[in-house]
Amino acid sequence: MYYFKAVKEKIFTSLPIIFLYFFSFFHFQIPEVGKINFFAFNFQMILIYFYVLKFPGSLGFGNIFLAGIINDTVIGTPLGTTSLSYLTLSLFTSYIRNATLRSIITIEWFTFIPALFFSNLVYLIIINNFSHMSFYYVELLQNTFFTFLFFPIFHYIFSQYQRLISKD
Amino acid sequence: MAENRDDFIIAIRYALLKKGAKQKFSLFFLIILSISIVTLDKFSLPFMTPVRSVLNDIVYHVSVVSSQPVKLRKYLAHKIEKHYNLMGENEFLKEEMEYLRAQKFNNAYLKSENDMLKSALDFSVQTGFIQDFSVAAKVILDQKSPFLKSLLINKGTKNDIKKGMTVFSKDYLVGTVIETNYLTSRVLLLTDLNSKLPIVIEGTDVNAILDGTGSKLNLKLSYLPENYTIEANKIIFTSGKDGFLTPGIPVAKSYLNNKQKILIKLLSDPDQALIVNITNGQINK
Repeated sequence: MYYFKAVKEKIFTSLPIIFLYFFSFFHFQIPEVGKINFFAFNFQMILIYFYVLKFPGSLGFGNIFLAGIINDTVIGTPLGTTSLSYLTLSLFTSYIRNATLRSIITIEWFTFIPALFFSNLVYLIIINNFSHMSFYYVELLQNTFFTFLFFPIFHYIFSQYQRLISKD
Repeated sequence: MAENRDDFIIAIRYALLKKGAKQKFSLFFLIILSISIVTLDKFSLPFMTPVRSVLNDIVYHVSVVSSQPVKLRKYLAHKIEKHYNLMGENEFLKEEMEYLRAQKFNNAYLKSENDMLKSALDFSVQTGFIQDFSVAAKVILDQKSPFLKSLLINKGTKNDIKKGMTVFSKDYLVGTVIETNYLTSRVLLLTDLNSKLPIVIEGTDVNAILDGTGSKLNLKLSYLPENYTIEANKIIFTSGKDGFLTPGIPVAKSYLNNKQKILIKLLSDPDQALIVNITNGQINK
């Protein structure tokens, strides 16, 4: 019984990592319902921002780095690009965590803007200078906007989830 | 002022170097590692090619497994939709069959007349698509990323697939191979921004470049002559000016959309491609 409980606990605490790897391996745009791709957003970025900010022990930087490498392999961008973008996001988030004393959702939401900006900036710089790929700027901007917009919803879901597993 | 700067430096240093209880690596180390990987990948050092190839093969196969639940959902939705459309489709097919039956006799007459005229003019009979290399492959993943519109196929260097080979789906060109691994390859679709194809427009001698825009229903023609506007329902063929593809392969078609605007659409549907044919591009050699 104790063993079963320990396994269950391990699965629940590892769920953010599982999600991170799952979305990196299967890079589909959420929501991929029928032909609606307009509201596509980057789930990994929300996940990384939230967990590095609120529960830094849940997602290891090593996992974030590896998920980025996998993402690059799957979508065909130069190896290390997404990793560097995710790590920039993590760096900015860690800085926010260290610099702020009191966490309020609105502050976290608005500090997500510069975090996304720097993360995407690193991405754009690498793609433009280290590859010959053309860019769908509008799609990326749209994607970033909806990533920012949907953050509070996922903030609530992740907070509730963490509360639930900490109760158990 | 100085205090603020010190606080900023302390916070950044703390974020970069502090590992925390559960972290195995510091951010600083991983950022340096990422920069090194990007640089090594850019300069394509000899040992990077096999490393990347093995990594690609492993990741693609795990990616295929992880995409199965979504594929199953799509398959079920498609099956249900197909079932509901069955009656209408049946009626349509009956009408089409009647029409084709009537056309069959007409075609037979035209064919015999054509052969007779050809023999009178001493034209050799062309035999359609002749390829000295052709491999069928299964599409294992179709990625919709903001950067690349590509397909992953289950054939690689093991099956003699090489970079630059052309890929067909249901006899229509869909793209070219841009990356080869031992077991898998990546196909850059004609819809991708990076795709540029020399073409010629049906019934004219107008040459242009067909550019991908990310959409299969709205491709772009560049380098058209000044004041030239394409008419609707014109087929767009490869011109063969790239020296690789032979001229005359149908690629796209102009059409009128709902807003009465002339757009260009692909003849192939990359989203529906399940089995593709890879050739060395020398068609009608």
